[in-house]
Amino acid sequence: MPPPAHGSRREPTERGSDVTTLTLDRVSKVYGQRGSNPVLAVDGIGMAIDDGEIVGLLGSSGCGKTSTLRMVAGFEDVTSGEIRLGSRVINRLAPAKRNVAMAFEGYALYPPLRVRDNIGFALLRDRHPRTEVEAKVNEIASLLEIGDILDRYPPTISAGQQQRTSLARALIRKADSFLLDEPMSQLEPQLRAILRARIKDWLISRRMTTVFVTHDQTEAIALADRIAVMEKGVLEQFATPAELKERPATLFVASFIGEPPMNIFKARAHLDGLGSIVALDERGDAAFEVASPAGIAQLAEGQSLWLGVRPHRIRLGDGPGAVRGIVASNHWLGDQSHLGIEVGRNLVIAVAHGVVDAPIGSEIAAILPPESLHLFDGETERALFHGVGAAVAA
Amino acid sequence: MTRETPLGRLVRGVLLTIVGLFFLFPIVWVFLMSFQTNATILRIPPSLFFSPTLDNYVALISGKLQTQAGTLEIAFMNNLMNSVILSVSSVALSLVLGIPAAYAFARFRFRLGENIAFTLLSFRFAPPLLVLLPLLLYFRTIGLDNTYIGLIWVYQLITLPLILWIVRGYFEDISEDIEHAYRVDGNGWFKTFIRIAVPLARPGIAAATLLAFIFAWNNFVFALILASADKQPVTVGALAFVTASGIQYGQIAAALVLSVIPTLLLALYAQRYLVEGLSLGAVKG
Amino acid sequence: MSYLVLESLTKRFGRETVLEDASLAVEQGETVVVFGPSGCGKTVLLRLIAGIHEPDAGAIRIDDRTVTHLAPEDRNVGMAFQNFALYPHMSAFDNIASPLRARGLTAAEVTRRVEEVATLLKIEHVLGHLPRALSNGQKQRTSLARSLAPGPAVLLLDDPLRNVDAKLRYEMRLELPRVLKAFNATVLYVTQDYKEAMALGHRVAVLMGGRFVQVDQPARLYTRPVSRDVARLFGDPTINLYEAHAESGAIELFDTQFAVPAPSGPCVVGIRPEHVEVGMEQRPGAIPVELDAVTPLNVRAVLLLKTRDGQEILATCWEDEAARFPRGHRAVWATLRPDDLMLFDAASGARLAPRTH
Repeated sequence: MPPPAHGSRREPTERGSDVTTLTLDRVSKVYGQRGSNPVLAVDGIGMAIDDGEIVGLLGSSGCGKTSTLRMVAGFEDVTSGEIRLGSRVINRLAPAKRNVAMAFEGYALYPPLRVRDNIGFALLRDRHPRTEVEAKVNEIASLLEIGDILDRYPPTISAGQQQRTSLARALIRKADSFLLDEPMSQLEPQLRAILRARIKDWLISRRMTTVFVTHDQTEAIALADRIAVMEKGVLEQFATPAELKERPATLFVASFIGEPPMNIFKARAHLDGLGSIVALDERGDAAFEVASPAGIAQLAEGQSLWLGVRPHRIRLGDGPGAVRGIVASNHWLGDQSHLGIEVGRNLVIAVAHGVVDAPIGSEIAAILPPESLHLFDGETERALFHGVGAAVAA
Repeated sequence: MTRETPLGRLVRGVLLTIVGLFFLFPIVWVFLMSFQTNATILRIPPSLFFSPTLDNYVALISGKLQTQAGTLEIAFMNNLMNSVILSVSSVALSLVLGIPAAYAFARFRFRLGENIAFTLLSFRFAPPLLVLLPLLLYFRTIGLDNTYIGLIWVYQLITLPLILWIVRGYFEDISEDIEHAYRVDGNGWFKTFIRIAVPLARPGIAAATLLAFIFAWNNFVFALILASADKQPVTVGALAFVTASGIQYGQIAAALVLSVIPTLLLALYAQRYLVEGLSLGAVKG
Repeated sequence: MSYLVLESLTKRFGRETVLEDASLAVEQGETVVVFGPSGCGKTVLLRLIAGIHEPDAGAIRIDDRTVTHLAPEDRNVGMAFQNFALYPHMSAFDNIASPLRARGLTAAEVTRRVEEVATLLKIEHVLGHLPRALSNGQKQRTSLARSLAPGPAVLLLDDPLRNVDAKLRYEMRLELPRVLKAFNATVLYVTQDYKEAMALGHRVAVLMGGRFVQVDQPARLYTRPVSRDVARLFGDPTINLYEAHAESGAIELFDTQFAVPAPSGPCVVGIRPEHVEVGMEQRPGAIPVELDAVTPLNVRAVLLLKTRDGQEILATCWEDEAARFPRGHRAVWATLRPDDLMLFDAASGARLAPRTH
């Protein structure tokens, strides 16, 4: 298939076609190279994004995710490495020539144009017929619940509405890739779930290759097929949400993903008998002990570890190997309960269905199933075991 | 966009140098002139190389100048003292009046507030000459003609609006919640003003003070009309160098250099406050 | 006599009435969460109690003392602001010491109290820093410490966790009740996050349209909301709402009849997403729907369903169950139970069913 001409309108190609895989090959970005204080914002990122895939760049502020997005868009120079669309290197290509649609963090709406004209801007510029543009604008506007403000001007609408307008303007277009910078940070809480679902449906139905940036791991997990977790410019792990939850490659990923976050305790390996993991409190004393997952024979006696277990994998109730503690908090949130259980001096968070009858201060037993334990190396913080099997090298 | 080619950088550097030279040239020339005799200055073609002399400075400081026509009395040091007295006093008075007023305008919404503030600013729009002759007559009547007090009072037209408008902006930029927090802690409004608002507006106060001082120092017309010889600042005093026997360029240059020093020093000192972090991180974002 | 009493507070800004006839009673040592949609006047309410604004009508009493028109410095309240409002030119220590010094404590006593509070909030190691050198989490704790240190009669917390990252927010949700209990503080806590409201409050006071529409224990607000608008505020995803017509004890929804005791007439039916069961197999009473998207939500997953006539239903299931649904559109079956349905009056929004409180 011949490569398409610059700037022409394109239809999405078949899945797996080499032409539209977006590849980042050891991409780095240094700010202020010639100044007194160069900052390494992005350090050797590599990933391959398939056609039609939705990828989230997730991390706390300053981790390099926005810099990466802007390099893909063409608003920042690539200090080293290559960005390729298919087999074509696009490092030096100006943004307008990259056929990307972008929704900016600051919305960047055109103040003198009405909301509907903002949204339809690119289509009108590309000479689509007016009736077609109007139909498409109405469609995307009702999807994002801004149908009633189409004739208003940007300065008169709320931040959340401005953000949705900016998003609509990007999503209405046909482009090789869609780059969204914090697209839903201002969204009203009541609209979040429904709009995330609708946007995901829209992107998947139209096979739109999308890269979005967010600091909210809930949002990343909701939308993305795969998530690139970044910290201090380094790519920690690039995997599906399920992988990140069940097989986090590093302690950072494990502690960043999930709400409530994964329970993480410093621990020690104990090889007596069948072997166990002893969880330590902040003073280094033993807090509680759990049966070790199979395959622990490879650990050394007393080896320093980090022990992780996700809150909803903890089974409340007694049984062999259960730990005992005192209920410190019991919050029923309508569709789930969050319990804080003090075991030794450690606080273990557990999530359960429905209402849990456990008053504060009462005793409670809980089982941390071996197949739900995660072990990380005490020094390198890299994953050693996930449940029954050894961790796959990242 | 951060795409800058080496050629682009070179061109930018050359253009900046040219512009810099263009603006700096007169100042450098005047500085050089102050070390030359009148004869050297007026020589054609003008030369960059000469043997420097301190005669001009000596003449200014000692108050006596030898010319062909005889010895001339120069009141430069006296003028310098007047400039200092007038500028410092005017600015000081403006600060005492202007800072609380700026706070009031920034924090309290009172009827006609904007109108009053704008009226005060409008004083800067009017050409001074419009009011000066009537003012001279009034001053003569009430005896303020040729007095420091009279001049300082009139100088408020220059300095007060500046202080008011600049400092008001800085007060407005301070999040009100910081002051609210101090009140809730148990402090009254005056203590909040002194301990929270004023310290946090320091960069603005420094900037406004500097600007007001420069404008007061440079003022010519008010002093020309309302002051006689013994109260004249350096701006008016410079006229004395236009003598019957010719214009004493060397002394003018030297007088210029000496006149600029106080404002230069003040600017260097206040610059630190101007650059001081304006987003001090105590309020999120 | 309740410790903090708000009596018919009314506040207007220009032509906008932010609070109208708002009344509330808080007991000593109780934490009441003031909860409501953004812009509903929650922050204004706190500021009236702190003395930053004065009400146009109504009264405020703290420990039997009428404080309605007293200056802020005379009220003995503590306030933590949403944007921290730390003094930028003072160290964390001096920030926390500020209310203590204003009350005339000796230097030794000030130092003791500041260190005590700082240790409780785990910021004792950054006391010497200026606010700009602190992380957001540390700034938030410093702000909290400053409000707690003098042991005020009433503690006003204005969405203190809003500008703090998600992980820290969750931690504070657990820590805050313990800290507040240690001080036996009487607390009014403002938030827009219903989970925070349900977790932190002994009672939650829902502020809408300038007045308190329901003040109740968290669980009751979820299961027995007084109106459709209150029902929408609790739950993520929001409760599904549909217009329907009740006819002699039954309503018709999605071409299916449900027996719900309710007076006849137009109504709005509400069903919470966790009460919609989704399966691949048809079951008696199940509705055929199309599953359009699966979006994980922490330990659950949200399923976007579309009925034959184009209406959207949001359902949730546990994350493990969601794994069986593939990417893309899929025909599935949704089951609703009549007991789970809530009915609201179409005009007033008041709850009609379930009838019991």
